[in-house]
Amino acid sequence: MPYISFLILIPIVIALVALFIPTRYKFIFSRLALAATILQLVLCVGMIVHFQPGEGLQLVERHSWISLTLNNWGRLQAEYLVALDGLSLPLVVLSVVIMLIATISSWHIAKSRKGYFILLLILNAAIIGSFCALDFLLFYVFFEFMLLPMFFLIGMWGGPRREYASVKFFLYTLLGSIFILIVMIGLYLSVQSPESTDEVVHTFNVLHMQQAKNFIAGSLLDFTGAGNWRLWAFALLFIGFAIKVPVVPFHTWLPDAHVEAPTPISVILAALLLKVGAYGILRFVYPVFPDAAIYFSDWVAGMGVVSIIYGALNALASKDLKRLIAYSSVSHMGFVLLGIASATTEGIAGAIYQMVSHGIISAMLFLIAGVVYDRTHDRLIENYSGLALKMKYYTSFTVIAFFASLGLPGFSGFIGEVLIFFGAFQSNAINNLVPLWMPVVATLGLLLGAGYYLWTLQRMFFGPFSIRANFTELTDLTAREYLMLLPLALLTLLFGILPQLLLDFINPFAATFTSTWFLFSTNATP
Amino acid sequence: MSVADAIASFSASLPRVLPEVVLAASSCVTLLLGLFLKKNKSAVLAIFSIAVFLVAIGLLVATWPQQPVSLFAGMFRADDFSAFFRLLFLTGGALTICIALQKESSTEYYLFIQAVVAGACWLAMSMHFVAVLVSLELVSIGSYILAGFAFNKASSEGSLKYFLMGSVATACLIYGASLLYGITGTFDFSSQQLADALLQSQTGFMLIAAFLILAAILFKLTAFPFHLWAPDVYQSAPTPVVAFISVVPKLAGLVVFIKLVLAFNLFGQAPINWKSVISALALLSILVGNLSALAQTNPKRMLAYSSIAQAGFLLVGVTTLDLAGIHATMFYAVAFLLMNVLVFTALHFFEKWKSLPAFTNFSGLGRVAFVPALGLVIGLVALTGLPPTAGFTAKLFVFSALWGSWTDSGQFIVLLLFVTGLLNTIVALYFYLKIPYYLFLKATPPGTASIKITFTGNLLLLILVIAIVWLFLNPGLLMGWINRITFVL
Repeated sequence: MPYISFLILIPIVIALVALFIPTRYKFIFSRLALAATILQLVLCVGMIVHFQPGEGLQLVERHSWISLTLNNWGRLQAEYLVALDGLSLPLVVLSVVIMLIATISSWHIAKSRKGYFILLLILNAAIIGSFCALDFLLFYVFFEFMLLPMFFLIGMWGGPRREYASVKFFLYTLLGSIFILIVMIGLYLSVQSPESTDEVVHTFNVLHMQQAKNFIAGSLLDFTGAGNWRLWAFALLFIGFAIKVPVVPFHTWLPDAHVEAPTPISVILAALLLKVGAYGILRFVYPVFPDAAIYFSDWVAGMGVVSIIYGALNALASKDLKRLIAYSSVSHMGFVLLGIASATTEGIAGAIYQMVSHGIISAMLFLIAGVVYDRTHDRLIENYSGLALKMKYYTSFTVIAFFASLGLPGFSGFIGEVLIFFGAFQSNAINNLVPLWMPVVATLGLLLGAGYYLWTLQRMFFGPFSIRANFTELTDLTAREYLMLLPLALLTLLFGILPQLLLDFINPFAATFTSTWFLFSTNATP
Repeated sequence: MSVADAIASFSASLPRVLPEVVLAASSCVTLLLGLFLKKNKSAVLAIFSIAVFLVAIGLLVATWPQQPVSLFAGMFRADDFSAFFRLLFLTGGALTICIALQKESSTEYYLFIQAVVAGACWLAMSMHFVAVLVSLELVSIGSYILAGFAFNKASSEGSLKYFLMGSVATACLIYGASLLYGITGTFDFSSQQLADALLQSQTGFMLIAAFLILAAILFKLTAFPFHLWAPDVYQSAPTPVVAFISVVPKLAGLVVFIKLVLAFNLFGQAPINWKSVISALALLSILVGNLSALAQTNPKRMLAYSSIAQAGFLLVGVTTLDLAGIHATMFYAVAFLLMNVLVFTALHFFEKWKSLPAFTNFSGLGRVAFVPALGLVIGLVALTGLPPTAGFTAKLFVFSALWGSWTDSGQFIVLLLFVTGLLNTIVALYFYLKIPYYLFLKATPPGTASIKITFTGNLLLLILVIAIVWLFLNPGLLMGWINRITFVL
């Protein structure tokens, strides 16, 4: 059964159906979107059952897409190649869960419901597609296709400065895409498929790009090629994805987009779109340019550390609750980068674990910010005090989310960060890629994280009750909000207590990643 | 050549150019129909013109030249390459008429569109400077008149500017061609005689001649530095005419440009590196077009600058001066035709509704007229070069060819063009995005009257959208066909 294709096609087909339903049936669109995500969730369960951890790429679907002879430089070949491994499976399942919760969270969207849910479904397909595609061109198409729906979702349904934020988001992330496109063109013209012997076939297949022998001798990005074009290509590709992650100093689009986006879109943005950036680094940048990655490893790790500290400091200074959470995302994604840079099995596994864990926790955090915003239309931290007295269940969920995010043992965030620190500290001894002082400085980020979360708790939730909005009645969580927050809270607890559940999938990938990666990079260096 | 030979050549050539013959005949019929018809004049003429274009396309396919055939004693040549572009011009003509089916237009409007398409077809086949001059004038004079068809002050001004600058361009062409004739003794730019003479000639004269000739062609192509007429003309001319001018004369210019540059390049033995020259022209067209478009407040003026940048992208494939690049350019030309017509069709729809002197006039219209707005957005996304549209595939092909050219030659300017050209997508996105921004993100002003959306208008949009997306999903079919087209000067 072609699980992945179904997973991508379901939202597209339902979006097409929705397109032909007249706008006046306002309430059918949310139900259609919900049906799509539930169907996807069922498929995911089947996928997890079928998946054999440690067996490499699975559920492979491969069809020819573009195959063209291009005169003097051989044949161009792009494929519809999708598959899952220990890296993509957790992220795909995460995507489906988050899309389901985002759909529930969108239930009461008032304006143009038809357009909203159609865009949400297209976004869904694009996100899942980019996590599954192993053909660079196919990936790029899905990657780009996230931008347009996101632009309209922020721009039409966002907050007061939505127009500015959406244009900024689009331009920034497109800049990243163009960097990726530049390298992609160079790469496919430098690589030939080993499956064809009689003619030169330029392939977009990422698996082929990950092997030194497939580079055409004398081509610009060949390992033995003159000049340092491979370093340039690495830098461009890395920045392309780093904008999406986002890594300081390429992060400035993120606070604006997050603050202005409606709650469900903030959730998707933080939980999934940022992961696409980190996923791109793990899937494309590092495996294809291992030599350059080693060359730049301290830069990559350094950017991670700067993101951790800078994000945390900004979060500490934020007056707006959503902005605080946005900056905490920058800080937490910095850990992912640090783990990747260490290139140890623990570091890579920790980076992937942190990606999943941050997906769950940041979704929860933005939902929490959304709960209070829905009631008072005010997000300024200083305008609240003593919320715990009026909304005790809401406060408990906030405490869970905050503690999970600051890395308290027992929650998933802890496992990810601990693994990353293992990896980063070991790196100095094993492969000497990350200088020892970097993880030491990064621990400061944990401290700052505890600082801004506890301070926010103290300011907003404890103390005497006061609120600067025009009314005094605050209702506690509704059933719909429980439905969104409870599964996420349970998931972060589950992965915090039983990390093996997730590590069984991630670890084999991380182990093969590091072993083949070093083999490749040592073989490759002349 | 004796008179008998000339007549023999003429009668042998005629069956090869049946589409052009049909267009010439139909122009006369159009004129007569316009004189004698009383009722439903424009409807009849529109349907007649579309029928003529379809017949011409049919005849072109029927007489498709498999082998290059020299026509009219070497003045023209029918081959795969020119036939491909003739097909594009005929399609462009038919689509132009389709854009404004419901509009009342005078006889001359249909007449000149047929005449310009015929001129473009001749131009595509020209192998001789005199032939280039005559067909270029046929294209130009028709375009000058069409540009004035809004019959208001601005339109007349635009038309006159176009005419004056066009005349200078023609003068340049004549001057350059006569200089070249003085150097080489021939007008036939594919001949060995021209190549031999150029190799031995003094560099300075040859360059002056070449640049004068190319100036006239760049004018048609709306490329830097001969682009200055475009904004005024685009802003003031009727939208279907702009769609037409931005596609047919431009692509006709492209064909001649490719042929002439290959002739001047002398297989790389020319005293000047044409690769760098064209790279610089492409680079500057892209930069000037895109950066000027940023500051525009009038949508059509913005599209004029975007069209200058698009000329740059069309030139990107030509810089390689080899078949791979020319094939990529041909793909780009098809995509460009489709997306440009799509954008102007949608724009024309909104213009019929209310006047659009500024982007703010689009405010909130996307909610009222969803289908045309969606068509406009897809067209603009395609022009930007984002997937899933043919615009992306076309850019991928031309820039792939450019990468190949760079790795072969190692010239810095080619790399600069590669990186700048692709990065310009972001600049382009910013100004193209203004229209979707106002269409969807801004509130609909109160009291906006609704508009009846006709089925035929939507059908044309739908066909174009499907074509653009289909070319993205399955570029193999078109590119496979293009790849079989060989082209030797």
